[in-house]
Amino acid sequence: MPKVVTWACVMATLLGAAVGRAGEARHWAFVAPVRPGLPPSKSLTASAHPIDRFIARPLEEAGLSLSPRADRATLVRRIHLDLTGLPPSPAEVDAFLADNSPDAYSRRVERLLASPHFGERWGRWWLDAARYADSNGYSIDAPRQIWAYRDWVIQAFNSDLPFDQFSIEQIAGDLLPQATMAQKIATGFHRNTQINQEGGIDPEQFRVESIIDRINTTASAWLGLTLGCAQCHDHKFDPLTQREYYQFFAFFNHCDEPSLPLNSAEDTRRAAEIDAAAARYIRELSEKTPAFFDKSMEWERSLTPEASQKQSQEVRTIFSLPPPTRTLEQRLVVLAAYIETTPENKAHQAALKKLRASRPDVQTTMVLRARATPRRNYLFVKGDFTRDGGEIAAGVPSVLHPLKKPAPDRLDLARWLVATENPLTARVIANRVWQQLFGRGIVQTENDFGTQGTKPTHPELLDWLALEFSQPSVPGAAPWSFKHLLRQILSSQTYQQSSRVRAEPASKDANNDLLSRQNRLRLDAELVRDVALSASGLLSTRIGGPGVHPPIPDGVMSLGQVRRPWNVSEGADRYRRGMYTFYFRATPHPMLNLFDAPDAYGVCTRRPRSNTPLQALTLLNDAAFSEMALGLARRILKEQPATTDALRLEHAFRLCVARKPSAGETDVLANLLDRQRAAYRTDAPRAEKLVGSRASSDPAAVELAPWVIVSRVLLNLDETITRE
Amino acid sequence: MGLGSLALADLINPHLQAQVSPTSPRRPHIPAKAKRVIYLFMAGGPSHLELFDWKPKLAALHGQSIPDSYLEGKRFAFMDSSFKDRSKLLGTRRAFRQHGRSGTWVSDLLPHIAGITDEIAVVKTCRTNLFNHAPAKLFMNTGTGFFGRPSMGAWVSYGIGSESQSLPAFVVLQSGPRGPRGGGVNWGSGFLPTTYQGVPLSGRGDPILNLATPQGISKDTQRESIDAIGRLNQSRLAETGDPEIATRIASYEMAFKMQTSAPELIDLSDESKATMDLYGAKPGQASFANNCLLARRLIERGTRFVQLYHTSWDHHGGPGETLTKDLENVTRDVDQATAALILDLKARGLLDDTLVIWGGEFGRTPMGENRENPGRNHHIDAFTMWFAGGGTPRGAVIGETDEFGFGAVEDECHVHDLHATILHLLGIDHEKLTYRFQGRQFRLTDVGGRLIRKLIA
Repeated sequence: MPKVVTWACVMATLLGAAVGRAGEARHWAFVAPVRPGLPPSKSLTASAHPIDRFIARPLEEAGLSLSPRADRATLVRRIHLDLTGLPPSPAEVDAFLADNSPDAYSRRVERLLASPHFGERWGRWWLDAARYADSNGYSIDAPRQIWAYRDWVIQAFNSDLPFDQFSIEQIAGDLLPQATMAQKIATGFHRNTQINQEGGIDPEQFRVESIIDRINTTASAWLGLTLGCAQCHDHKFDPLTQREYYQFFAFFNHCDEPSLPLNSAEDTRRAAEIDAAAARYIRELSEKTPAFFDKSMEWERSLTPEASQKQSQEVRTIFSLPPPTRTLEQRLVVLAAYIETTPENKAHQAALKKLRASRPDVQTTMVLRARATPRRNYLFVKGDFTRDGGEIAAGVPSVLHPLKKPAPDRLDLARWLVATENPLTARVIANRVWQQLFGRGIVQTENDFGTQGTKPTHPELLDWLALEFSQPSVPGAAPWSFKHLLRQILSSQTYQQSSRVRAEPASKDANNDLLSRQNRLRLDAELVRDVALSASGLLSTRIGGPGVHPPIPDGVMSLGQVRRPWNVSEGADRYRRGMYTFYFRATPHPMLNLFDAPDAYGVCTRRPRSNTPLQALTLLNDAAFSEMALGLARRILKEQPATTDALRLEHAFRLCVARKPSAGETDVLANLLDRQRAAYRTDAPRAEKLVGSRASSDPAAVELAPWVIVSRVLLNLDETITRE
Repeated sequence: MGLGSLALADLINPHLQAQVSPTSPRRPHIPAKAKRVIYLFMAGGPSHLELFDWKPKLAALHGQSIPDSYLEGKRFAFMDSSFKDRSKLLGTRRAFRQHGRSGTWVSDLLPHIAGITDEIAVVKTCRTNLFNHAPAKLFMNTGTGFFGRPSMGAWVSYGIGSESQSLPAFVVLQSGPRGPRGGGVNWGSGFLPTTYQGVPLSGRGDPILNLATPQGISKDTQRESIDAIGRLNQSRLAETGDPEIATRIASYEMAFKMQTSAPELIDLSDESKATMDLYGAKPGQASFANNCLLARRLIERGTRFVQLYHTSWDHHGGPGETLTKDLENVTRDVDQATAALILDLKARGLLDDTLVIWGGEFGRTPMGENRENPGRNHHIDAFTMWFAGGGTPRGAVIGETDEFGFGAVEDECHVHDLHATILHLLGIDHEKLTYRFQGRQFRLTDVGGRLIRKLIA
């Protein structure tokens, strides 16, 4: 059993002894926020946005000020990307530029908040914390079905499901009275743990691992606490004991982990009937010819460990039982596996196939379900589950608000997490929303609000945001509304200011902690794809459904222990948004991986932003991006058919970055276009190779090819993959 | 900027990273004996008892029960199935002999490695914590069994950067029947930026994913395109003042260089016939021999950390996993080329500052496994690895195991100790190479790690 102990824990032991228990000092984050008064400001009027007032004060003290508002083309692209993850079309930019009414900006914000793509953008943000992926992880990494949970998250954001209810349904939707299908699906949140299917493992060890992950994820995503530090010993900095860790453990220890069918009851019943008929077929076969059992045993013995591992979990469990001890049912399961996978049983396979021809394709999703008989819950000595340190009942850390209920269950825990007395949750979530919009949280250690985390740069602003989120002051605003919180932030001057680096603030505040400008942010991995797809005109805007398989470079799928098939999707599914790309934890799509999509092995509350040559190679050479460059070239020529190069270049530029190019930028592109046009005219075969099979509406390859090159350059620009 | 200050800056503010190139070479903490690493990872768990750890007593007591004292409190893999009669000792059928001035014991399975014993330091008392393949491989690579932690190559690239402007700092090569268990997480960057993750490189076809320019784009067009991207990015840099754009411009330049340097790297036509024969390499193969040669070519070009995986060493005794034919096959795959790599590095003067590591994720039990053929189960208490060059002693044997090769009787070398020592040889203090994640400081050696003095020449 690996122990989660880091040297930090050891250091902490030494330091902790010196400074005493941190809780005694009433650490700021453990005290509930109070609505702060607005600070006075020299530069802003009394009617200025509260957020700007909180930001202006420290800026004024440093002799600095907010930047001017970003230009309108930049601004409209910013809000489109931040709210929907898709860039505005040139027409949408033009409409915004032409709208001189004072509420043009807020009306556009409202329109985007109401877009069905809003749920995709912010749903994906939450899915990072949920460690969502489409496979079981560990070394075998078999595919799983849990996309219905992903779609539930998207819908929850679109319908602005209040965050308290959003939380309760994910932690304990199954325990709600008359739980709906949607509420059960929501419990998929805590099914996004890995499942180890390797041979020779101790299943209890990995069940325990998944609960540890659930505790750490809950503590990190809602409370911003490093509760995981208390798995093996009391937390050395924060007032969290090891005992409290196992109290928390108890909430998650009493679950079963089934899959929920998503089809109609009729389809599900029909599928079950057909499965029963297939089982009957196997049983009758064994009754007619008992020798089949010997053959299946022979087959079992001949399997290499590799081949054994390819069998289902059920079959492998039976393999581990000594044959004489197996029940008839178990022998039949092995017999069925033998019949279905061996070449000498082709005739039976054909018969079974015929039997199943009309079986509905039952889709399922993984959920949590309370267990009829609770497990014994005990403290693990030094975090080792094989060492029983005495029974422990469910409970919450005493440093936080009390959970006033005897024998609380998961539902009580969920309600406790979003109770108004909770000093952490609203702050932690508001901080991560802020982080998403500014690149950095007000508390920079977004997952550690404990005593070792960084202090908030703007503590009053954080409290104001937290309370405006959980208990809004604006009349008519619903509590815990993401849309309300976003509306508040997006309407501030702080959010809308230019991201241009200015000399004076840069010398006084190199990291822009005081926010004298917006920050330029490289787009999240999925959005790098979405922006290129959108510019190229190829994007499918379909929302939800099972994961899809866009082109993937050769060899990627063989990098895992088990080579998983990847049948490239055709038609619209080839051009779906990045968040729908089927995500194998062991062999993630390299485009997503290289642009820092989370690995889904555990909770992710902040993505790093790397900047590497392999990203350049992806955007330059990847087959999917080549297809998008071709799509963009076709689109330019189609949408600006009989106009000048300059107008076409402008159109292409705006499709990628929304603003118009400068004269210098147009020159660079026009020069490239001219040179490439000359080059391809003298080398028609190369042009043919570049554009591949041409559509009938296409211009000649030598005319299209130089535009493909220009399009490819535009899709590779830093600005194209950046939110300015 | 020194490493300590970089790590410190990162601790305070990760955004400072943008100010220096994340892969530019950095000064080590302490004088480095090794500048680079070639890690030959023998995936599956090679049997130390068939290769390096000669146990005549085990052979003498073949078929008898192992004393209970050895098994008390131990957990093993496959506890429930094929390991029911786990106490019968299994003597090796291999012939062992002492080799070289060092008198190192090596079995008849590794005749070429037997010829280089005076160049290497054999550690017979390696110890790990985890007995299933994927977690144990992670443990060997990342210091924990958890997915999502940085691998050693990533830590090293993060710590001391890269010497190459045209190839990745950390490269992974694979051979054998299938990929190693756990796959890409074995060379992942975990919570470190992806800049530091291992880049899988293939000795045939497109050596790096998306390396080749698409069809219909000439090298000139590619150059002109990258120039245009650079000029437009430059004008955006002037407009916004964001240093990330400068990094991106540099990334495109390196990408362009890689497009030339990587195909040149895998083109073995400039190697002499003598060299090809020494390794047993053949052009166009994805063999271990070719990968050894590629490893040398990579480090010659400045790559910091090369990791070769070769599967499969998982000799339980079942079909495809026998201690006889199957073990003979895999040793034949690696023996000649491994020795050739050491000899070739030495001849080129590269061995002194290149650390070569050979070993798997664990060893195998002295007791036989109850399958059709004699085989051995996974074993974590003692197994053999060896090291060469890079400031390790020549012709040394470190550590001694008990009469059955079950556990160490002197100089136990835990994985954390191996990691601490490897980092030390590279000039890195393992307690100072840290990264803050989820509210804690993490390091490769977790809470352990003690220098193995005997492994430092």
